[in-house]
Amino acid sequence: MVIRRHARSNPTLIKLARNLSSEIQERLCSSAVESGPARFNAFVSRVTDPPDSSGESLPLSGKSIAIKDNIATSAFPTTCSSAFLQEFTPSYDATVVQLIAQAGGHISGKTNCDEFGMGSFNINSVYGPVLNPFQLSTGGLLHDNEDRSAGGSSGGSAAAVAADLCFAALGTDTGGSIRLPASYCGVAGFKPSYGIVSRWGVIAFADSLDCVGVLAKNTGRIRDVFDIIQRYDSKDPTSAPQDIRRLSRHRSASRLEELKGLSSGLFNGVKIGIPREYFPSEMQPSVTAQFRVKLQDLKERGAVLVPVSLPSTRLSLSTYYVLASAEASSNLARFDGMRFGSKVQHSEETDLSQTSNIYAASRAAGFGPEVRKRILLGTHALTADAFDNYFLQAQRIRKVIKTDFDAVFRSRNVLSRDPPESSSSELDDDDTKVDILLHPTAISSAPRLSEPLKGVDGYLQDIMTTPASLAGLPALSIPSGFAGDDWPLGMSLVGQWGDDDLVLRLGEAMEQTS
Amino acid sequence: MIGRLLAAQCPQVQQRMLSSFAQGGRATWPGWETIIGIEVHSQIKSRQKLFSTSLNSVDEAPNSRVSLFDAAFPGTLPKLNRKCVDLAIRTALGLNASVQHRSAFDRKHYFYHDLPSGYQITQSYAPIALGGILHLDKVDRTVRIKQVQLEQDTGKTTFSESLNRTQVDLNRAGAGLMEIVSEPDMRTPEEAVAYIRTLQALLRSVGASDGNMEQGSLRCDVNVSVNKAGEPWGTRCEIKNLNSTKSVQAAIACEVDRQIKLLQSGSVVSQETRGFDEHRMTTFKLRSKEDAPEYRYMPDPNLPPLILTEADIDSVRQSMPELPHKTAARLESVYGLVPRDIQVLMSVGSGSNVGYDGEVGPGNAVEYFEAVAKGRDPKVVVNWITQELVAQLGRRNENFDQTPVSAQQLGDLIDLVQDGTITGTSAKTVIRHMFNTQTSSSTLISELVDTLGLRSQAVTDDTLQKLCEQAVQELPIEADLVRKGNDKVLMKMVGKVMKLSKGTADAKIARAALQDMLSS
Repeated sequence: MVIRRHARSNPTLIKLARNLSSEIQERLCSSAVESGPARFNAFVSRVTDPPDSSGESLPLSGKSIAIKDNIATSAFPTTCSSAFLQEFTPSYDATVVQLIAQAGGHISGKTNCDEFGMGSFNINSVYGPVLNPFQLSTGGLLHDNEDRSAGGSSGGSAAAVAADLCFAALGTDTGGSIRLPASYCGVAGFKPSYGIVSRWGVIAFADSLDCVGVLAKNTGRIRDVFDIIQRYDSKDPTSAPQDIRRLSRHRSASRLEELKGLSSGLFNGVKIGIPREYFPSEMQPSVTAQFRVKLQDLKERGAVLVPVSLPSTRLSLSTYYVLASAEASSNLARFDGMRFGSKVQHSEETDLSQTSNIYAASRAAGFGPEVRKRILLGTHALTADAFDNYFLQAQRIRKVIKTDFDAVFRSRNVLSRDPPESSSSELDDDDTKVDILLHPTAISSAPRLSEPLKGVDGYLQDIMTTPASLAGLPALSIPSGFAGDDWPLGMSLVGQWGDDDLVLRLGEAMEQTS
Repeated sequence: MIGRLLAAQCPQVQQRMLSSFAQGGRATWPGWETIIGIEVHSQIKSRQKLFSTSLNSVDEAPNSRVSLFDAAFPGTLPKLNRKCVDLAIRTALGLNASVQHRSAFDRKHYFYHDLPSGYQITQSYAPIALGGILHLDKVDRTVRIKQVQLEQDTGKTTFSESLNRTQVDLNRAGAGLMEIVSEPDMRTPEEAVAYIRTLQALLRSVGASDGNMEQGSLRCDVNVSVNKAGEPWGTRCEIKNLNSTKSVQAAIACEVDRQIKLLQSGSVVSQETRGFDEHRMTTFKLRSKEDAPEYRYMPDPNLPPLILTEADIDSVRQSMPELPHKTAARLESVYGLVPRDIQVLMSVGSGSNVGYDGEVGPGNAVEYFEAVAKGRDPKVVVNWITQELVAQLGRRNENFDQTPVSAQQLGDLIDLVQDGTITGTSAKTVIRHMFNTQTSSSTLISELVDTLGLRSQAVTDDTLQKLCEQAVQELPIEADLVRKGNDKVLMKMVGKVMKLSKGTADAKIARAALQDMLSS
């Protein structure tokens, strides 16, 4: 049986709910009582049946996998945590959902998220914010008892993992939406290289940035699920072709072959780049301090730490918001209340000579404030007058950001159209080149939900996560101790495009004794 | 129809057009120059749509050929149909345009109920082909082609009076279109029509499109400006959605008239998008330049750039059917056909014989002709095709591919006539019989001739003699007149003999026999 969570008392939703079918209204009323695990608000709908562990033995048999609510499922409504899509249950499953089901995985429910994936704190949801479960899992806090953010936009997925409500969860990451909640909730979260996991059936926020990834208690579990979903999909035109996948996997495998100490937690021969631009003044001092402890530990275990510079990092935030919002304004145009999205009757004074006024009524009521804001920003960036200065400029900077990364990695970027400097080798043996980059995932631990996260400050955090998104690189956040307030922190490993296996294995090794 | 409406609503235009037709088909506005450019939207004749695997619709029930992607279901993604790309390359090569090694897809945004995703995927910034030429033989004008771009068609909106509601059919949504943009190189409405006709023939011959304006598979937007001779070009207006060559011609004429009148009265032409009212024979304002919609073009992030190597383009070139002017030249040089026959062969069934995905369609009259003409006199063959087959098809309102007479059968039939086994009249009877009874292509012509009793040998000299005597008996008055030297009546008697022989008699021999009989 599917249990569906009700949307928080939201005037818009109440207005929309009057149009809902009685069946859905009934389900809204019978939703779980807000106690126990449901208190975290991690799931927006879930099944009550436990996973069936009797049947044949498949890689994910008996394992519950939660799915972010912007990934299409035919067994559950797929609402993107938006008032607009309360009535939408797709007739189809996303490719990743099909793959998990085929591998024996038990799809246990849909997780709360920021509306259409837009947000860093999971507060832009029609179901209300996700609460960070860390507090309860450690038996309460010494300093305060205030609810904290689970991070966003895949906050429900991170919380479901942190509260042991599933084996692993799928999230999506457009600018940090998997890594940040993983960091806040003290779990591992992996955004694969762009194009490695199919986006077919994922409701697009920004097509050129969206990645489906995995959150779990540890990197080993992430690998179990990632191995299932990293498949070429002919239905996704941005899916990386087979030959490039083979090339990258082979390269990671041969590098890992060289790093024999990893299985026993040793990092001899591993070169880790520390990007100096990833320590903004806004970063909490305890984050930097804790990160230093981690670096010292890695050094003692044989890693070579290399300070590197990615000079365009400071431009990534504005670049990201122009591109992501522009794509969002385009992708969300289909939600117009005609086919998708609940239709709101326009008022009687509406000037009907302009058809746009009819669309406006539904779109203004259906989208939440953050989504509206980004659609407006993106719309502006695409107008003829602004296009060159915003969109095209941002596209140019995006290329520079990629070049920055390519300059520090040992692995060549196989997607780059430029020929490699040493044409015979996929690798660069320059001593200054690194296997991976390592940096704190967030500038702080999870913020309190009562703290207003408004204005530019709310976006500042994204400076740590958006560069890897813009460059399409694999990025893994793993738990890395605690901040001064005893709340969890995460650190991010970022690899060259296609070095997903290398990133995951290094992450796993870092988790071993830390 | 248009002519009558012209007379009623647009007397000046009509007068001018009529007088110009009298002078050889050229509309003229003495002292003024007219500059015309045309954007053609042509549906690509592919089995599947441009970015989805749903089949292109011809006449299917509304909304029966719609995939999740066509209806813009959230989470669905486009997948480029390479067949559409190949057909666009064929078109570009036919237009002598330069196929781009790298082109890209963009989104053009606007809200409308027959555009489910809120944007149309098109090629605004980097079209698949640039720069080309199309020579219009009929008016001897060379038109430069600016570009060819691939794009999606929209759904179809109809308003139901009875239900008082707008209805949307998404069968067409996402179908592949080519937008072919000309430079402003045409100077008269007649040249505009010649351009469209020539382009239609090209699209059909390369198998890229049906090019049928009546069925909406080819639609035109026309840009028109006027200026006093010797002065710089005027401000142009675009007339949208013209659905026949007649309305193209009439809309240009009316628009030129309107602009000249404006300028003559001392006012100015402002840049506008206009529509054409066929009933009132006027163009009308749709929107001004200031109201031009903001389409917010954006590179489509789902579709990687379309990379075409020289080898890709070459392989399309190798598989290309012959272009119309080459076919015409070959029919003339190899078979010695006259232009009128060439034109009939090339226009018969065009538009209905374009196969899907560039495959050769059924019923190509030129191919049929060449098959029959192998080892036969081409002039005799072309006469049988253009005069008998085409006439029969025309009478039945059928397409060329519906002829029941195969090339093999027509060849056999012509051979029988040539060697005197049957008469020409009998052969026509055979063809009519084949149409009436829809014989199969395996039917042997010689057996058919025997079954119908049409073999000329059946009429021996004795039999003919008897038939002539019978004719003289049955037409005594006519016989007398012939005896008195009235040759005109002789033909009536020959006709009688032919009728009595059921067409198997040779008319010449019958005439000689009758003359013999009655002159003694």
